[in-house]
Amino acid sequence: MDSDLVLIIVVVTALAFDFTNGFHDTANVVATSISTRAMAPRIAVAYAAVLNFVGAFLSLAVAATIASGIVEADLINEQIVFGGLMGAIGWNLITWYFGLPSSSSHALIGGVVGSAFVAEGPDAVIGSGLVGKVAVPALVAPVLAFLVAGLAITLVYRIVGGLRPGSVTRGFKAGQILSGGLLALAHGTNDAQKTMGIIALALVANGQLEAGSDPPTWVVVSAAAAIALGTYMGGWRIIKTMGSRIIKMDSAQGFAAQGSGAAVILAASHGGFPLSTTHTISGGVMGAGAAKRLSAVRWGVAGNIIVAWVVTIPAAALIGAATYGITRIFGTGAVGPLVVSIAAIAVIALVFARRLQQGSVISAAEGA
Amino acid sequence: MTLFAEVVDWGAVLEVIWVSLLAGVGVTAIFSIGILAAARTGDQQKGGQGGAATAYAVLALLAFAAVAAAMVFGVVVMTQKD
Repeated sequence: MDSDLVLIIVVVTALAFDFTNGFHDTANVVATSISTRAMAPRIAVAYAAVLNFVGAFLSLAVAATIASGIVEADLINEQIVFGGLMGAIGWNLITWYFGLPSSSSHALIGGVVGSAFVAEGPDAVIGSGLVGKVAVPALVAPVLAFLVAGLAITLVYRIVGGLRPGSVTRGFKAGQILSGGLLALAHGTNDAQKTMGIIALALVANGQLEAGSDPPTWVVVSAAAAIALGTYMGGWRIIKTMGSRIIKMDSAQGFAAQGSGAAVILAASHGGFPLSTTHTISGGVMGAGAAKRLSAVRWGVAGNIIVAWVVTIPAAALIGAATYGITRIFGTGAVGPLVVSIAAIAVIALVFARRLQQGSVISAAEGA
Repeated sequence: MTLFAEVVDWGAVLEVIWVSLLAGVGVTAIFSIGILAAARTGDQQKGGQGGAATAYAVLALLAFAAVAAAMVFGVVVMTQKD
């Protein structure tokens, strides 16, 4: 009974994480469309939300990696999963507060790894999975998106260079509706699957699901709904950083950046790599900018983003480990997770209230 | 290094790299050709060159159809397990 209660808390927390994931990552998906005025902000956000939802149903390869490839499912209990989730949510909120587009995926993986490490020691962490399925794609994906977008935009300018700017801009704005949609689809499939994988991990720990099997339908549907809702609620703060502070774009660059990002994410999702959609799209945006003019990219902001990438896994791991430690103070029952959940909700409410009081705030990205 | 080579499925990583390059660069380039052809269609019509205008219109349609087909193909591949 007690462990069922913990399971319920974990599922609710996982869906809450999925919501913040959508909330946090909206910017990645829609910033380029809004920046180039291909779509009105409200419409772009709603469109991305719908395609996020649809995208979540495309594949389960990434969910399988999360559920069985990174930590030893046999050693994991619900409390560890809870600690990992809190690590990810905590880090997501911190980076959101400062307007930094860090990676929700790496936050989740970092949180779970930190929590499992503290609970069960190094044996609980599958080092090879962490390196092969997470670390290497984490390095490859943004560089790849950067190169693909750079090559693509160079070709585009060669092809349409002699035409009147007006018709080119109109054409690529129309194209951005397609490329933006594909990107939302790709984002939905890679990111919603991470939540499905986490819930599957908790279900296995609870004995409700056999290790290695696909997550049940209700998990897929609720994860899809949570990320779509989060996307719809939007992260306007981060939209500003991604869309205009990194680079001023024309619609051809927007198309190249989105198309390249979508290509990389879809290809990686198919291979079961839980890569960071944030990193990948940032790489595409920078590639599309750098190919035109190196000075077009505001490298200071880009530098801040890179710092957030590097610290995400260790920071989330620390928060995850600390959360697990705190819940253990209250034993192995449901009390610990309950106490932490209530405390977390209180802290989040406080932060939101302060934010509202202060009005629009200068983000860390701008201040540096 | 041998350990590193075993841990990472380089085949899958390489597949992601070449598929991304082909799809990302290819689709963007073909879409640009579509825009070029569409613009030329208008120019030729104004210039009274009906035959050339039709040829460019067909090229534009083919290019946009190829882009749409590539997107659909990408999504269909996603939904299939290997």
